[in-house]
Amino acid sequence: MTAPVTAADPAPSRPRRRPPRADARSSAGLRDALTIAAVWLLLGTVTALVRPDFLSTQTLLAVTFTMAVAGVLAVSQGLVVISGGLLDLSLPVALILSAWVTVSLLGAGLPTIVAVLAGPLTGAAWGLLNGLIIVYGKLNPIIVTLATGFGGLAIMLVLFKSAQIPSGSELRAFGLGRTLGLPNVFWPMVILIVLTGLAVAYTRWGRRMVAVGGNAVAAKARGLSLPRTRLAVFGGAGAIAGFAGVLFCSVNPSFTPNAGAGFQLIVIAAVILAGISLSGGKGNFLVLLLSVGFLSTIPVSIAFFGLPPAWSLVFQGGLLILAVGIDGYRMRRSAR
Amino acid sequence: MKHVPHRPFTLAAAALTAAALGLTGCSSEGSGGGGGGEDDGTFTLGFAVGGQPDADWQDLQGDVAQALAEQRGWDFVELSNDNSEATATTNADLFIQEGVDLVMMFNGQPSANPVIAKKYEDAGIPVITFDIAQEGWYFVGVDNAAAGTAGGTALGEVAKAEWDCEVDLVISAEGTSAGQINEWRTGNAREAVAEVCPDIPEDAYVSYEADGNLTTSLQNAPGVFAANPDAENILVVGINDQAVVGALQAATQLGRDDNIMGWGQDGGLITGDNVDPNLAGSVMYFLEGYPAFAFEIADAIAAGDVPEVKDTGDDAAVSVKPCPVSQEEAAEVPSIDERVAALADAEQGTTAYDLFCPAAAG
Repeated sequence: MTAPVTAADPAPSRPRRRPPRADARSSAGLRDALTIAAVWLLLGTVTALVRPDFLSTQTLLAVTFTMAVAGVLAVSQGLVVISGGLLDLSLPVALILSAWVTVSLLGAGLPTIVAVLAGPLTGAAWGLLNGLIIVYGKLNPIIVTLATGFGGLAIMLVLFKSAQIPSGSELRAFGLGRTLGLPNVFWPMVILIVLTGLAVAYTRWGRRMVAVGGNAVAAKARGLSLPRTRLAVFGGAGAIAGFAGVLFCSVNPSFTPNAGAGFQLIVIAAVILAGISLSGGKGNFLVLLLSVGFLSTIPVSIAFFGLPPAWSLVFQGGLLILAVGIDGYRMRRSAR
Repeated sequence: MKHVPHRPFTLAAAALTAAALGLTGCSSEGSGGGGGGEDDGTFTLGFAVGGQPDADWQDLQGDVAQALAEQRGWDFVELSNDNSEATATTNADLFIQEGVDLVMMFNGQPSANPVIAKKYEDAGIPVITFDIAQEGWYFVGVDNAAAGTAGGTALGEVAKAEWDCEVDLVISAEGTSAGQINEWRTGNAREAVAEVCPDIPEDAYVSYEADGNLTTSLQNAPGVFAANPDAENILVVGINDQAVVGALQAATQLGRDDNIMGWGQDGGLITGDNVDPNLAGSVMYFLEGYPAFAFEIADAIAAGDVPEVKDTGDDAAVSVKPCPVSQEEAAEVPSIDERVAALADAEQGTTAYDLFCPAAAG
């Protein structure tokens, strides 16, 4: 099967590989989902054998609470990765900057809806800044976002020392509440992951993004604008990180400029573990939900075993290396 | 009295040095503050504030020191280390050129301290350092061991009054990267709780890594609560207020905040509009008031009665007294700006602890 040929195609007669698409319905996605679910089940079983009280609503609350902000950030990172943007290392800045803008506006007495919308807008502006530098500077996204991450942190240190959400605000009340027995902040994350997964797999927008990530040359030959797509992805991913900032400040009554640093490892690990390939063009956002859930269970299990929480970083780091190795193996295998 | 901002001072000092070198043919004396500056016999205090971007109290330390120096009729030279090793090192040269008799400083980038110490040693200028110890410098810092004990004792007494010491879980929100300071604050707090409530079983004491900040504490604490599902009456101690409040917030998220109380350290989150209702109290250090303690040494040096150098946290030249305050008491403590103004107007030898700590008032 060949891709549609456009009038702008420089070599219309040459047969070409169909650009890869999100494999939501593919066996690879199912395999990734089953693998993560099995390992997650194993972790839960082993912990429950040692500590039967692991199977409790307290554990469920702890895991779902831990998943909320990390899950939204993972969606943001996943979009960047699947579109071929490698990684956005400045997500912690987008998160905290958006949270700061949100609580500042709430503190200034603006309506909640204005403050809540300002979060994603701030994140989108930050993402667009990264995108502009990367696209028009033709620079490596990892280096650019590493640099803007440091620069952004420095700017935030100048802007504020610590920020606090007004304790009587509606957003704070939302962050402390529950729906269907689970933390309120958990549900927007689930909805976002499901919607993003469906959008990437079934919409033209999603297919274009995956096409650019999988084979930029072929996508360009089909008439897709790489700069416009990359800018849109960075802007959109930034907006989602900004949304994560809104959720973050609803549960963190006080935070400092560098408070987002702790999310970096779990977010990148979740994305890679979910099978969203670092080479771009491949991945399943529904598997991401399982991946985030599994990684969020690790620190809770660690607590049940009585181990210091630092061990969860060891496990998450180890899993990241394993997932990158598997991703590399798959790429080499598919290249043969 | 001179109060010289960093950049103008740099230019002025450079010009002064150039002129002096030209006039004297590069001759210089390097002892006892008799460097490049004119010495009219007035005692000159050099003060280097830390310049960290997230710490107003560092600048306010300079304001307090300036006021106390004025009280004594001393000359005063203030520079900012700008949270930079290079600037801190340059400032040492400038203080030496200015001919100061004593330096007080907070340097948040202590890796430069050995180099700076050599410069001052060669120039014969004594140094008082805040919170970060350096061999050969008078150490002034909070008594962390006493702070931990004070916080734990206060929390234990609240638990005794409220729950008759029937405590199911004592959570310690640690910041292990702080090393011995973490052990002093959290370890001593746990021991103090056990002292007040000796019947709390040993396995009810659980520690976790909070890294000294609310976000990490809030991320890691849910697992601790989930792993102790039957605990009802819960106490929280920690390396600082951020760590303790992170645990208290996690308890709220998991619906475990009915019977939980925490006692923090440093007073960072015990005042203001957003105090966590379960933060029973904290230990305040009044960081802006450190110079008032340091002037105990400065007065002796100025009087020619140079005290023995004590340069470690274990054996400090002057230990800053920690002040345990309940949430209600903290609400009555004046703001940091008011405290600086009050310290500046206070009699010689008065410290922030004397003025503002409820325990000092009896």
